[in-house]
Amino acid sequence: MSPETQRKIEALFPRYPEKRGALLPAIYLVQAEKGYVGPQDARALAELFGLEPVDVWEVLTFYNMFYTSAQGRHHVYVCTNLPCSLRGARTLLKELESHLGIRCGQTTPDGRVTLAHEECLGSCGTAPVMRVDGEYVENLDLSEAKRVVDSLE
Amino acid sequence: MITQPYITNYLSEHYADDAYRELSGYEARGGFEGLRKAVQMEPADLVELVKSSGLRGRGGAGFSTGLKWSFMPSGNDRPKLFVCNADESEPGSFKDRLIMERGPHQMLEGILIGAWAVGASKTYIYIRGEYKVPTRRVEQAVKELYERGYLGQKILGKKGFDHDIVVHSGAGAYICGEETGLLESLEGKKGQPRKKPPFPAQYGAFGLPTTVNNVETFAHVPFIVARGLDWFLAIGTEKSPGTTLFGVSGQVERPGLFELPLGTPLGEIIDHAGGVRGGRALKGVIPGGMSMPILLPEDLDVRMAEEFLSERGTHLGTGGIMVMDETTCMVRVAAVTSYFFRDESCGQCTQCREGTGWIHKICERVEAGRGSPADLELLDDLPGLMEGQTICAFADAAAWPIQGLLRHFRADFEAHIAAQRCPFPESFEL
Amino acid sequence: MPTLTIDGTEYEVAEGRMILQAIDDLGLLMSGVDIPHYCWHPKLSIDGSCRMCQVEVEGMPKLQIACNTLVTDGMVVRTDVERVKKAQRGVMELLLINHPLDCPICDQAGECTLQDYAFDYGMPGARTEEPRRPAKKAMDLGPTIVFDQERCILCRRCVRFCREIPKTGELGVFARGDHSLLELFPGTELDNPYSMNVADICPVGALTTKDFRFKIRVWFLDDVESICNQCSNGCNIYASRSNNRIYRYLPRRNDSVNDTWICDHGRLSYQLIMENRLTEPRVSRRGTSYADAVRAAGDAVRAARESGGSIVGVASPFVGNEDLFVLKQLLEAVGAPAATFAVPRGESDELLVKTEKAPNASGARALGFEESDASPGAVAVALVLGHTLAEECLKGVETLILLDTENCSLAERADIVLPARSFAEKEGSFTNHAKRVQRFRPILEPTFEALSEGEILQRIGAAAGLTGWTASYDVHEVSKRLSETVAGFDGINLDSLDDQGCELA
Ligand SMILES: Cc1cc2nc3c(=O)[nH]c(=O)nc-3n(C[C@H](O)[C@H](O)[C@H](O)COP(=O)(O)O)c2cc1C
Ligand code: SF4
Ligand code: SF4
Ligand code: SF4
Ligand code: FES
Ligand code: FES
Repeated sequence: MSPETQRKIEALFPRYPEKRGALLPAIYLVQAEKGYVGPQDARALAELFGLEPVDVWEVLTFYNMFYTSAQGRHHVYVCTNLPCSLRGARTLLKELESHLGIRCGQTTPDGRVTLAHEECLGSCGTAPVMRVDGEYVENLDLSEAKRVVDSLE
Repeated sequence: MITQPYITNYLSEHYADDAYRELSGYEARGGFEGLRKAVQMEPADLVELVKSSGLRGRGGAGFSTGLKWSFMPSGNDRPKLFVCNADESEPGSFKDRLIMERGPHQMLEGILIGAWAVGASKTYIYIRGEYKVPTRRVEQAVKELYERGYLGQKILGKKGFDHDIVVHSGAGAYICGEETGLLESLEGKKGQPRKKPPFPAQYGAFGLPTTVNNVETFAHVPFIVARGLDWFLAIGTEKSPGTTLFGVSGQVERPGLFELPLGTPLGEIIDHAGGVRGGRALKGVIPGGMSMPILLPEDLDVRMAEEFLSERGTHLGTGGIMVMDETTCMVRVAAVTSYFFRDESCGQCTQCREGTGWIHKICERVEAGRGSPADLELLDDLPGLMEGQTICAFADAAAWPIQGLLRHFRADFEAHIAAQRCPFPESFEL
Repeated sequence: MPTLTIDGTEYEVAEGRMILQAIDDLGLLMSGVDIPHYCWHPKLSIDGSCRMCQVEVEGMPKLQIACNTLVTDGMVVRTDVERVKKAQRGVMELLLINHPLDCPICDQAGECTLQDYAFDYGMPGARTEEPRRPAKKAMDLGPTIVFDQERCILCRRCVRFCREIPKTGELGVFARGDHSLLELFPGTELDNPYSMNVADICPVGALTTKDFRFKIRVWFLDDVESICNQCSNGCNIYASRSNNRIYRYLPRRNDSVNDTWICDHGRLSYQLIMENRLTEPRVSRRGTSYADAVRAAGDAVRAARESGGSIVGVASPFVGNEDLFVLKQLLEAVGAPAATFAVPRGESDELLVKTEKAPNASGARALGFEESDASPGAVAVALVLGHTLAEECLKGVETLILLDTENCSLAERADIVLPARSFAEKEGSFTNHAKRVQRFRPILEPTFEALSEGEILQRIGAAAGLTGWTASYDVHEVSKRLSETVAGFDGINLDSLDDQGCELA
């Protein structure tokens, strides 16, 4: 973790009565820098927070939005929960799988896109929906989904 | 992106208006009148007012907000906290997101009124990590409040009225919507719900007395204070006053949000959503988010408030209405539902960890045409082994929908087992 | 004191306790009051997650977990109702869906709460043939422990142990839901000085010690109450034996001494008992019979007394209070000064391990012996117990009589050598660092001729012709005399001591 990231993390400590409160935001910061938080960074975080590495690892593996290994340059997550599924999300995911030539949960061999599915994103009124690099793309249809995926560098 | 409900009422009246997101625009449309009135009142009277308003939490459990506030210890020997639950992850629910995107100051004003009422010095707003836009909007709104002295010290010039707000992002775990799972997560831990006792009002976030309320719950509060009890009690039902933002999703013509009084008949709400898509017949409706048991077409007359829904064996939950048409395979619905609960169980309690996994495996098997009558027996039994026996209500939430599906759509399950395949070729893909 | 009624029987319990704790305080948990439990452990924080301990509490609509329900005065609890049985069966059935059903080949068989409870509280037949959670078999967790992940029921006792007791926190539960797995942080080991306790507290056969794994089926073992002799903490242990061999030590609960723990060093020290034993009585460096050696020693003492030669005693902090007491009496009878003793010292920690690396230095002090590693100088006869004093210190001794368990260079030098019984082969008591007198019982029969130091000294006294000394020896008699004679030991003797020991006055 860079000194810059560490400074940002330390600046978060006063927001919480105990500095551990800043752990989730801190993980986000490390992840923003590196793309994921591996064992080495987990150790560094543990040190910074006065925790055991295993404490940090438990947290990292509990939450869907944290990664402990490298991901594709772009994240495409398709919601497949019921309301989205009722509006074709699963067909759409299948199409994207064959379009990208990978299975859900995999990354394209060039490391460009990681495709995965997600639980309800709170966008059921504009289903189906996917989350592309953190931003919602709603009211999807197949051609729109492919266009968005193709536009990723 | 939804900018306003198809039908608006007091909460969403100005949502279409971009200016309403900003403090000045909010104030110009009546914002912060509630807080101004509130600080003229004794905190205890304020709690009493909210209690008398009958406001029920909009986070799913429907608990009386005023009563919950009254559980907070009096005295100031320990700092007291508020937590705003903006983890909105119940499938079929997307109302809190709209409030944060279009009317963040409503929620913030509600928080400040509550803070005055219970003497809380700080609020953590826990927003699910996926909600980037809502998070930015809320952060922006909080910044404005600091700039204009609505946050910080001596709010509205009131001595002793100090309050800070910290916006905190979740990281993708449905269980962090459960209030003690949320508190653990806020403390930088796994979001595993706490055993109770102790209850949050005694031992909440970081061990401090804490009250957790939902985004929408807070958003109603300024209106109650500003417009008064009589006004509020005239809306909705006797036991469930006020409106709520019903979310309609699934196979309807116009999915979206509808702000309607509690107690509005289910059929009427679905009609507002344009009815079942493509003129098809209705097969089933989940009335309150995925955790709630499903209803049948003949239940469309039910009034959407807890007291009426519980008579039909289900609950209002978050008011997320999911509509399924005649092509829907209810075993598929069971498989998707049970997958979700399996994936999201925090994994502490035996019944929940193992039960959710087992139910999912069985549902997938039956759907894939490999089920047996013994599987059906298991599905009859397992939810009963999980319900009411765990640390948090998640296990109940995982059990109820399966019980509901079996109660009303047993024939779908039996047909799969008899034919050893799915008899609903047109249903959504699994 | 609040009263608590369970299944119709009323109990007086301590204030502010959870139901399970209160029952445990009374020593009745699973032996009188059966509330099955997995995650709860008396010495760890309450987890409340296994849900096995659910009971019916009058006035509460839902079942409550006994481990986290505070007893209130007049509380009425039922465990014998169908609702509770059904909940227990449910937990059992759900635990077993991801657990291999191969008890016959599991090393924990016979000591597994899952197996026991399945019998007592489970369903007659398993209803599942589901594929089980993917899990690793026989993972090496470090120098001491092997982990069968597929057997783990995720009770988190081991996790809490590492966090709360040695405070090393090596273990965690990663991921969530039914994907949850107990693991180590990548690239680390479970290697704290107390690591092996996790095998004791694991309610199933998921964590086993490399030392004991697959050595012997537990039903061939019987457990003897004893005391670890590796430091002055005097941790209470069971020694599991079969066929005159010790297979392991297990901690024995004593809340005043070691709770439910022992250190790994102590646990493995059973291996030392038979190491390098002194087996042969010798006189003038030549093997002889035990009787001859005793006679020779008696003669040397007698000769020294008659010629006015000085006699000294060197005590050992490794022998029992009773042995020390006989030494004290012998020295008094021959008019010798009180014995001295030396104590080996080493590292200590905040939990159990003490600096004094012997079990009974406090006992020696209580008997009026003085710690000293100084040389007794030129003396006619030295009665030396063990070899804690450096060999050079004993250079000036004319006749060195050594009573020892271990073959050491001092035994090469001694004039008369008498093999002694180790603590595992005799009965007696040690006094730990906190002056708690604790009893140990014979575990093994010696495989060669050996007597306890007390008995050897008794015989030497008789052989030396001391007035009133006969060769007959009864450790209980000695202990009684000790308690009558030595200040502080009033009322404390082998017959009065229970399995928890008793502090000196
Ligand atoms: C599994 C589970 C998930 C929940 N998720 C949410 C949620 O996402 N948002 C929410 O406000 N309440 C959620 N709740 C309800 C909260 O526990 C809590 O009751 C609520 O935040 C209280 O606020 P209210 O009284 O204002 O409704 C959830 C409860 C359970 C059991
Ligand atoms: S019921 Fe499920 S989600 Fe809730 S605490 Fe137990 S395991 Fe976790
Ligand atoms: S290894 Fe044993 S003690 Fe540890 S969590 Fe699993 S079952 Fe419990
Ligand atoms: S702490 Fe001392 S007495 Fe206890 S087990 Fe370890 S060595 Fe033996
Ligand atoms: S189901 Fe996809 S956003 Fe809700
Ligand atoms: S022993 Fe009480 S819940 Fe596990």
